[in-house]
This record gives sequence, C-alpha cells and structure tokens, in this order.
Amino acid sequence: MNKTLETGKLKTDTKVKKEVKNNTKMRKVLSYAAFVGPALLFFIVIQIIPFLMGVYYSFTSWNGVSSAIEWVGLENYKKIFTNDQKFYDSFLFTVKFMFAAVIISNVIGFSLALLLNASLKTKNILRTVFFIPNVIGGLLLGFIWQFIFVKGFSSIGNMTNISFFQQPWLGDADTAFWGIVIVFAWQISGYMMVIYIAALQGVDNNLLEAAKIDGANAFTTITKIIIPLILPAFTICLFLTISMAFKIFDLNLSLTGGGPFNSTQSVAINIYQEAFTNNNYGLGTAKAILFFLVVAIVTTIQVMFTKKKEVEA
Amino acid sequence: MKQIIVLCLSMLLAVGILTACGGNSENTSNNTDTGEDTDASATESNSDEVVTLNFFNGKVEIHDQALEMIKEFEEENPTIKVKLESVGGGADADAALKAKFSSGEAPDIFTNGGFKQLDLWKEHLADLSDEPWAEHVLPFAKVPMTDEDGKLYGRPVNLEGYGFIYNKDLFEQAGITETPKTISELEEAAQKLEAADITAFAAGYGEWWVIGQHLLNVPFAQQEDPAAFIEGLNAGSEAFAGNDAFENFKKVIDLEIKYGNQNPLTTDYNTQVTLFATGEAAIMQQGNWTENMIYEINPEMNMAFLPIPLSDEADADRLPVGVPNSYVINKNSEHLEEAKFFLDWMTTSETGKRYMTEVFAFIPALDNVEASGLGALGESILEYSKEDKTIPWTWFQWPDGASKDFGAAIQEYSADQIEYDEVLELFQATWDNLK
Repeated sequence: MNKTLETGKLKTDTKVKKEVKNNTKMRKVLSYAAFVGPALLFFIVIQIIPFLMGVYYSFTSWNGVSSAIEWVGLENYKKIFTNDQKFYDSFLFTVKFMFAAVIISNVIGFSLALLLNASLKTKNILRTVFFIPNVIGGLLLGFIWQFIFVKGFSSIGNMTNISFFQQPWLGDADTAFWGIVIVFAWQISGYMMVIYIAALQGVDNNLLEAAKIDGANAFTTITKIIIPLILPAFTICLFLTISMAFKIFDLNLSLTGGGPFNSTQSVAINIYQEAFTNNNYGLGTAKAILFFLVVAIVTTIQVMFTKKKEVEA
Repeated sequence: MKQIIVLCLSMLLAVGILTACGGNSENTSNNTDTGEDTDASATESNSDEVVTLNFFNGKVEIHDQALEMIKEFEEENPTIKVKLESVGGGADADAALKAKFSSGEAPDIFTNGGFKQLDLWKEHLADLSDEPWAEHVLPFAKVPMTDEDGKLYGRPVNLEGYGFIYNKDLFEQAGITETPKTISELEEAAQKLEAADITAFAAGYGEWWVIGQHLLNVPFAQQEDPAAFIEGLNAGSEAFAGNDAFENFKKVIDLEIKYGNQNPLTTDYNTQVTLFATGEAAIMQQGNWTENMIYEINPEMNMAFLPIPLSDEADADRLPVGVPNSYVINKNSEHLEEAKFFLDWMTTSETGKRYMTEVFAFIPALDNVEASGLGALGESILEYSKEDKTIPWTWFQWPDGASKDFGAAIQEYSADQIEYDEVLELFQATWDNLK
C-alpha cells in the first residue's frame, strides 16, 4: 500500500514538474512572441515583402503604370553592366562621398566625444547642441544649408571679399561635393558623438590611471588604451556611417538635386530617376538590387574586420 | 503576476496596432453603409447618397482658389463632395500619382501632360470625346491628349507661354527704343543695358526645366516640321549636329551667360524671378505663370514678352505656347459619371468659367470662354496666339527623362566644362539611349 502510494506521489511529482517546465517554456515563447512579434510583422510587411517584390520587378520591363508586366530575364542587369555610364558615374561619386563622409564624421564625432567626456561645466548643454542637427530631418536641413551656401556665403563673400565665401559653392562640381560632405558630417557627427561618449564612459578608470603612472602621455593613452577598448563603438559607428553615406538621398536631393550637370548624383537619386522620371521601374529596381548587394557586402566586411580587432580589458 | 500583466499589456498593444492599421480600409469601405442616417436616406432615394470624388491637382499655385471653387460646387451639388489634393509640379507629382495608383487609392480626376504621358497612362483614362465641351477645345490644344484613333482623353487646363520677359522701364532707361526680335538686335540691347550698368539677363540655369525643357524647346519648335524632326531623331534619319537651329542655339546660351547674373548654375526659379522682379536684371527667360510672383514683389512692374531668337531671320518672332496639362478622368473610377459631371461643371458652368478666367487667371484653351483678368504677360501671350505667332511645346514628345540630361549638358557647357560640339554629342547620346 505504502509503496504504491509513494510511487504514485512520485509520478505526480514528475508530472507537476513537467507541467511547470512546459508552462515556463510556453510562457517564454509567448513573451518572445509578444515582444518580437509585432516588430517582426512590420519588418516583414514593410521591408521583406517589398524587397522580394523588388527582386521580381528587376526581371521585368515594367514602366511603373501599365498593368502589363513583361518578363525580360536578365536584360536589365545586362544593360546596367554594358551600357549605363551615368549609373557608373553616380556609383563613383557615392563611393568617394562615402569615404570622405565616413572619415570626417567619425573624426569629428570622436573628437567631440573626447572633449565632452572631460569634466566640462557646459558638457550637458554642448552634448545637446551637437546632437540637435541629427534630430532635424534631412530634407529640411538640406534646404537650410542650400540657403546658407547660396545666399549666406555669397553675402559674407561680398562683405569680406574672402575668396572662400565667394565661390559658387553648389554651382561647381568639386565644391558641391564638399558641400554635401560638410552638411552630412554636420548632421551625423552628433549622433556618433553620443555613441562614442557612451563607450568612453565604460572605460575602466583604473586602466587609465595605471597608464598615467607608467608615464603614458595623452596621445598614447588614446591610441593604445582608449581606442582598443572602445573598438565595439567604432564597429557600430563605422557601420552606421558607411550605410548612411551610401544610401544618401534626401540631403543630396535638397542641396543640389544631383547637379550641377549630374556631378553630385548619388546612386539613390539615380535609381529614383530611372524608376520615376525615365519610367523604367524594372531597370530602377535592378539597380537597387545591385546597390543593396554592394552595401551589404561592404558593411559585412567592415563589421567582420573591426569585430576581429576588438579586445577586452 | 507582474510578468503576466506585462505580457497582457504588450499583447493588447500589438493587437491595438494591428487593428488600427487594418481598420482603415474597412472604415472607408464601410463608410457608405454604416450609420443609420445615411443608410436610411440611401434606401429612400439613390440620388441623395453623398459621393466623394478625389481630385489630384498638379498645380499647387491654384490650390487655395480651387478649394473655394469646390466649395461653391458642393453648395450647388450637395450630393457630390470633392476632396482636393495638390502636389508640386514636375516629376514629383508623377511619382506621387504612381504611388497612389499602385496602393489602390487612384484619384478620380487628375492631370496628364499628353503625348508620351498619354501613352503611359492611357489604359487608366476615360474617353472624353463625347463630353459637351469637347467641340469647344481649340484644335491645337486637343493634340496632346488625342490618341491615334482620334479619341480625346483630356480637357486642357489652360494655355501657357514663355519667352524672354523684359522690363520695359529698364529698357527705356538704357535707351533701347525698338524691341529686339532677332539675335543680333538682342545682343545690341544687352550691350546697351550693360553700358547703362544694368544686368541684362537673370539666367536661371540651376533649374533643369528652364534650360532643358523650355530653352531647348526653341530649336526643336523652330524646325520646319517639329513632329517630323522628332520622328526622324527616333528613326535615326535626323541628328542634332549639323542642324541649323541647334547650331544657332549656342548663341542664345552664350549671350545669356555673357550678359547674365553671377553664378547662373545656383540661380534657381525663385532667385531668378526675384532678380527680375526687383529690377536687378532686365530680361529673364520664363513664362506667364510667374506673373503673380512678380506682381507680389513689384506691383508696378511694366513688362512684356520678347521671343527667344536663334537667328536673324524674320520669322523668329514667335512665342512657344502650349498646354502644360490636361484634366483626365480615371476610367475605373467608382463614380465615373459624377467625375465627368464635375469636369463638365468646371468647364461649362458660369461659376466654373468665372473661376477659370477671373480667379485662376488662366488663358482658356476653349473657344467659347473669353479670357479676362489677365495681367501684362497673359495679355502678351494672348496677343501672340491671336496673331498666330506661336511655336509648339515639344518636350512631351521627347523620350522620358531626356530633358533632365539635356539640362545637365547645357549646364556643363555654361560652366565651361565642355565645348559646344560635345553638347550636341551629349544630346544625341541621351536621345539614342532613352528613346
């Protein structure tokens, strides 16, 4: 009697345990679903499905309006590789722009972070001030800077006769390029600064003090201690700036619109024009797919490369 | 316990978001049959049902006035409501329209530029050949919206023209007594203006449509038969290089740049009009649509049109006049009849006519509507049209997207980056690539 009772009790015990286990598992799945589900759903509806549709359209000669969609296979891709000087030019521009913009905005962002990580009285205000440009929308910012370049600079130039301000900033291919780089860096540096500050605050003070005692000066502390320790921040910042600089559209559109004479036409604008102005929606999406591949490959390589270099204290 | 609450809350939120998004479409489709009042009246008599038309307007300049017109229309016709949406001109309005069509929210009435645009959109457009106003549309204004079968698909919004607008007072000040009609006379005038310390041209070369469409249209339109010339370009039997009008085209650009304002490549539309309206420059290449902008800055402005001459031949004295856009109707509209009725009302009713002429200050493209309320520029266009001294607008027949590249080539030339031969080569390459 006793024995059977005991085993019965044991059985129910394991049963309860199993149930509890199942319950927690169930709960875990549910809470994952609750938190990730909505975001995933929107991601699929807004990003993945249009992307797949884009892949499909890139094999067609659709004009964007007609109900007849003709399958042309790899024709669009062939055209891009064999006969599209403008796309090539805009790619070259975008790559050049990417390098200039990434270097400048990260240097500025990191320097600001170093400065504002020190115990300055005004550091909170300054952090906000430097971050604000990032809150303003790109289109608006572009138009504000267009006014500064076209009207502001020329009136300063007229008053002071400094040749720097007298140039037709957005009217010349070289200066227009730098104009866009300047505005991009101005917009994005504050954002990078915030990420760098967060990383800098995580650096162990003991290490810095030890370095000081060992006789390291400010420069070696930065290059040998701080930078290696906050490399994860560099990974993020480089990734963000590279992908943002590649995909630049709104600043470019409002500042120069790709002009003068298409010299500052980014890939994104080229794609937009192909799809909506030239009414070659299929060709435009083919370009977009190629562009996606390039951006994905470049950023993956960058992340892999910087990840490898990361160390822990 | 806490976890469960959090879980429930987040689920609720997720469901809330989903229903909020999904609900929209249901709401609109249910609109007509939910609500007991409308339901009851709808069953009583069908005509009482309120219908909403979506009107997509590509001319932002008249948005406010058009709203007033719609208000009067709705007062006269309480069963039809019109929802107006205006999107800025050019390619952006086009992209917005495409987005509307592909998202299933196609407007009932929208605008179309004709020719190539007509080909592109034709499968969505209703045939308007039998509308009561169709016979009153001026013959040349019908052309852009007529297909090869002779069917008419649109009602021209208005007529517009452009050329060199000149400031009469500044011309007088510089001692120019005769208005220049040929390229040599224009150069003389520019020299006189320069001698009097007046900038001759406000050159808006930053704007691709000013140079790539309007200015470049002149050599196209001055061909013996512009349509045949364009056909020839498509077939490869005509070329830009070696064509007289295009070779002469260089002179106009040179003239404008030589006697023009500083930094023409950063001079956009607003800057150009401001330069002219404030009297800083005596001539600008623009159209009668700038009239209101000019009068707002300078109500005293004394101005008129000059033709854009390419040569010294006498027949250069003609202005490019055309139909910028036509109203069209979506043939798959649920309220096709109401849309046609509204368009008819805009065209033939007294109120509609009044708005067209007096309020919008349009030059009507209809033979039964008299223009009134036009300013100096509108009058100037009307005068040229009546004397039949006009040339057509041809850019709607060019390959899609070509005018942007044409504009870029002209910019490159005016910035001294390339020679004029290369400009013509670029024109040719663009045409062959996009045709």
